[in-house]
Amino acid sequence: MGWRRIKAPLPPGRYYFSGNEAVAEGAIAAGCRFYGGYPITPSSETMERMAHRLGQIGGVFVQMEDELSSIAAVIGASWAGAKAMTATSGPGLSLMMENIGYAAFTETPCIIVDIQRAGPATGQATRVGSGDIMQAKWGSHGDYQIIALSPWSVQEMYDGTIRAFNFAERYRVPTFVLGDEAVGHLRETLEIKPWVRVFDRKKSRGRPPFDSKNPRQIPPMPTFGEGENLLVTGSTHDGHGIRRTDDPKVHSRLVRRLNDKILLNQQDIVDTEEFFIEDAVVTVLCYGFTARSTLTAVKELRERGHKVGFMRLKTLWPFPHERVGQLSQGVEKIFVPEMNRGQVAGEAMKSSRCEVVSFCQTNGEIIRPEVIRQEVMRVL
Amino acid sequence: MSKPVQVRFGGFGGQGIVLSGLLLGRAATFEGKFVAGSNSYGVAARGAACRSEVVISEDPIDFPQVTIPDIVVVMSQRAYDLFSRQVVKGGLIFYDSQFIVPHRQRAMVEVPATEMALRNVEEKRVANVILLSAVVAQTGIVSQGALLRAIDESVKGKFLELNRKAAALGFHWKEEIHER
Repeated sequence: MGWRRIKAPLPPGRYYFSGNEAVAEGAIAAGCRFYGGYPITPSSETMERMAHRLGQIGGVFVQMEDELSSIAAVIGASWAGAKAMTATSGPGLSLMMENIGYAAFTETPCIIVDIQRAGPATGQATRVGSGDIMQAKWGSHGDYQIIALSPWSVQEMYDGTIRAFNFAERYRVPTFVLGDEAVGHLRETLEIKPWVRVFDRKKSRGRPPFDSKNPRQIPPMPTFGEGENLLVTGSTHDGHGIRRTDDPKVHSRLVRRLNDKILLNQQDIVDTEEFFIEDAVVTVLCYGFTARSTLTAVKELRERGHKVGFMRLKTLWPFPHERVGQLSQGVEKIFVPEMNRGQVAGEAMKSSRCEVVSFCQTNGEIIRPEVIRQEVMRVL
Repeated sequence: MSKPVQVRFGGFGGQGIVLSGLLLGRAATFEGKFVAGSNSYGVAARGAACRSEVVISEDPIDFPQVTIPDIVVVMSQRAYDLFSRQVVKGGLIFYDSQFIVPHRQRAMVEVPATEMALRNVEEKRVANVILLSAVVAQTGIVSQGALLRAIDESVKGKFLELNRKAAALGFHWKEEIHER
C-alpha cells in the first residue's frame, strides 16, 4: 500500500463538466467506492452523479435519512476498508460536526465536500458564500486538525478531490473540499489525464493503529473483518484502542499526536500560488471562486501600472502562516476579499507583519473583478 | 492572446435556455477551446426568467462569467428588454420573433424559431435548437459539426432525431436571414 499509479476511469481528453460533477469524477478516480449523503443545494449534483457512477462500477451508494447519519455511514465504510465520502452544504455541515470530531479523534480517512452557500442557517440556498472556513476547522469540540482545500476551477474540483482522498488516506484525517456555489455550478473545460496517482492507507498487522513513536508518522489502519483485534472509540484510547479515560499522559499524548501529525507534515500539505509578488506594494490574498475575480482584477491593475500582487490559498487548513508571514515582510498591505465577514483575513493577521485589509461581501453574490479593482485602488 | 467570445442566452425556464448554453459549451470543448459557462439555478431555471452564459476562448479563462456579451440570444420579451442593453459594440442580438417586439434597430437578427419549429416539426420545444443553430450558422462561433456532436451527446432517446432536424433548420436559415 502507499502510492500507486492507476489508469483514469474516464478516457483521457477534454470534457465540459460542472464543478460538482468534476468532484464526483475525481472521487471515482481516487478510488472512492462509498458515498453516504443527504442531498442539499448547491451540492446535489455530486450526489446525483455518484449515485449513477457508483452503480456502474460496483461501489455502494446510500441516501441516508439526514446528515448526521451520512457522515456516520462514511466513517463506518472507511473502517470497513472503503475510500468514502459525502457532500453537503453549510446547514448539512453543521449537522455533521459531532461525527467529524469523532472521525478526527479515531483517525478515520474520509472526505467531506462542502459546497458553501450564503448562511447562516438556511440562508440563501441557491446563492454563494464562503462562510464555512472557520467551521471546517473549529466546528467540532476539542483540539484536532483537519485538512481543507479551496478549489477555484472545475479542473481543481477534479484534481483537488483526488488530492483530498490522498491526504485523507495518507494522514488518516477528515479532509474537506471547501468549494462554493459559484465553483460547484460553474461549467468549464476539464482535462482528464490518462494516469492518476493515488495513495492507499497503510496496513501493518499487529502494530498499534492509534500510536506511533515518531509523531510525523501515521499509524497503520487495519480493516474490520481481516482478523485483527480492533477497537475504535471516540473516548481517549491508547495505541491499541483501549479506553484510557482517566490517564492524563495517554490523553495528552494522543491529542498532541493528532495535531502534530498534520502540523509537522504541513510542508507536504500546504499549497499556495503566487503571481506578480516580486515588486508588489499591495498583495491580494484570495481563495475559492473569489480568486478568479482577483486574478482578473490584479492583471488589469498591473496593466495600469499598479504594483499589485496575487497570492492564492489552494489549501486553507492547515493555514499557511509561514508563507503569509514571509509575504507580509515584502509588502505594505495584504488585501483579503471574502464572501464572509473576514474569516481568512482574521487568520492572516496572526502571521502578518503588515496591515491586513479585510473586504467582506455577504450578499449572496460573487465579488466581481471590478469591485476588487476599485477596493484595491482605495488602499494603494 | 485573442479576445474571448461571450454569449448570453435568455428566456423563460422550460424553453431550453440552459440546454442551449450546455450545447454551445460542449461544442466549443470538442473544438479544443477553453470554455466556461453558468446558468440560472433552482426555481428560475424551471418556469421563471432564465439565463445561461458561455465564454469561449483560445486561452485559459481568468474570470469565467460573462461581463459584456458579444452575442445575445433571447426568447422572451423580458429577457430582450433586460439583455439587449448590454452588448458590445459590433455585437449581435438574435431573437425569436414569436415572443419579441424589438425596440431597437441596430445589430438585430430576427429568427422566427418557434414559428419554424411549429411549421416544420410541429414541436415548439426545439425552437431553442433552431435559434442556436442559426446563431452558429451566422457567427461561426463553433462549427456546425461540433454542434451536431454536442446534440448527439446531450439529447437522449426520441428527442435526438427531432433536435437534429431542428439543427438542420437553423443552419439553413442562414441564407434567408435578414438583418434590420
